[in-house]
Amino acid sequence: MALLAIGGTTPLQPPVQAPGVYQGTANVIAALMLLLEFGMLRQALVRDQVRLYAAQSALISVLAIVIAADRNLPDLYALAALSAALKVVAVPLVLRRLLGAPASEDAPGVAGSYTLNPASAVLASIGLAAFGFFAFGAFHIHGPAAPALALAIAGAMVFVSFGLMIVRRDVASQAVGFFTLENAISLAALVVAAGLPLIFETAFLFDLLVAVVVFGMLIRAHHGRAESLSTADLTRLRG
Amino acid sequence: MSAALPIPVIQLLQVLTVALGAPGVTGLIAKVEARLQGRRGPRVLQPYYDLAKLARKEALAPEHASWFFLAAPLLAVAAYLTIPLLIPVLTTYGLPLGYMGDILGGGFLLSLASFVVATAAAETGSPYAQLGSSRAKTFSAITEPVVLFVVFTVALLTGTDLPYALAATVRSGAGQVIRPAHLLASAALFMVILHETGRIPVETHTGTNEFGMIEEARSFEHSGPYFALLKWGSELKQLILFTILADVFLAPWGLASTQRLGAVLLAIVALLAKACAIGVVVAVIDDSFAKLRLFKITEYASAAFLLAVLGVFTLYLGGG
Repeated sequence: MALLAIGGTTPLQPPVQAPGVYQGTANVIAALMLLLEFGMLRQALVRDQVRLYAAQSALISVLAIVIAADRNLPDLYALAALSAALKVVAVPLVLRRLLGAPASEDAPGVAGSYTLNPASAVLASIGLAAFGFFAFGAFHIHGPAAPALALAIAGAMVFVSFGLMIVRRDVASQAVGFFTLENAISLAALVVAAGLPLIFETAFLFDLLVAVVVFGMLIRAHHGRAESLSTADLTRLRG
Repeated sequence: MSAALPIPVIQLLQVLTVALGAPGVTGLIAKVEARLQGRRGPRVLQPYYDLAKLARKEALAPEHASWFFLAAPLLAVAAYLTIPLLIPVLTTYGLPLGYMGDILGGGFLLSLASFVVATAAAETGSPYAQLGSSRAKTFSAITEPVVLFVVFTVALLTGTDLPYALAATVRSGAGQVIRPAHLLASAALFMVILHETGRIPVETHTGTNEFGMIEEARSFEHSGPYFALLKWGSELKQLILFTILADVFLAPWGLASTQRLGAVLLAIVALLAKACAIGVVVAVIDDSFAKLRLFKITEYASAAFLLAVLGVFTLYLGGG
């Protein structure tokens, strides 16, 4: 049934057309990933941040499966499985082990490590997200298979994860922020270049492992030296 | 074959459904909530008995209060009873008075009702009622931007700000439901409704804990039929917000598309069932989260604002 606007006689045409179920699903998953990124920004406990990171990584595997099913790219199923094994299981496990000793104590410097209060941090990050969103949107990468929106959301995620590393003053949150940066890049790669050979995608994935090891060592060294996870203590080292 | 109802009767039925159904929905939520807490809880019909009892009682007013103190409950209920004319309660097609106002018009009426009640509370000179009204005004100013952004999303999705148009858009296909803008706006609206109906984050709507009371504190000085009107008003507000969420955003299905008596009756049952379903979800949420401290309300509002803003953003690149 055509709905008439007040005083008008033409049927209403929505100015923004619905994107279709496949693109809609991809966009919704991307938007959920961005929301989880904000969740990590607000979360007070490292344990919960790691949990959110695992959820975000699970979402990107789901997205890979959706794209694989829609565009008939069997490689992506393998990538989804590998990425889930690595980012949903292995990395959170390693992170928990690494933080096990410090986090089980009272873990000074993690819970109250905001440089801004949480509400202001979220508002500032909305600004960052807007910048990333419209900056990536300005690239005008359109295509039947690349939802421009999901790419822009990946851009927003990159900026919010930088924001997360900036507003939190503890090594653990900064590590989580860094790992989600990799999730954001994977999202962009999946959306723009889903047909990339599996070997490249896997290579990017293994870069993450290097980062995990490096950050693990940094966290250990910092905790061993400062008896705290807070980077605020590092200012004392200034000459 | 059932008879076709005249349009004015359907319009009247919209108001009557909300007016008579509201206390029942409140009663059901109270019952579910009590069950979740391991209590037997009051009868589902208890709010009707409460209203009937209060209506028979004597009404008193503070000594120096002006006429406005007694007029406010009437004005508030009048505003609440006007809103069901503007939103799709029973029908998919717009009724003649449905185009009197758009979503913003409905929002203005909700604010007007809340404003007159707050003013009447300030009239009394009772510090506690005044505290409630000043808190209510402060926090509604914080959640207002969220509502505005939800309205923007609706406007971008449909090209109008008529609730009927959004409901028709949502019904038109799965692609309209699985899109970030719609889901984000619905989630933001749901968070605002949780706040507005006094569930989360700080308020206890059952109202024995004085520190947790915001809107409930405003009616402290009213008594008798006037207090009954205020209670009925807040029940009406709750059902109206649930109706907007269900019939405009989440599930605009089950509405009558013809004037047949059967279809309209089915729509009445569907509306009350949807409202009760939302009420059960709200009760579960209410019981499973701890209340926040009062000043943490900005964090809750900023989360809702985030959802609403992202909803508008996603529409700008054409894929939302």
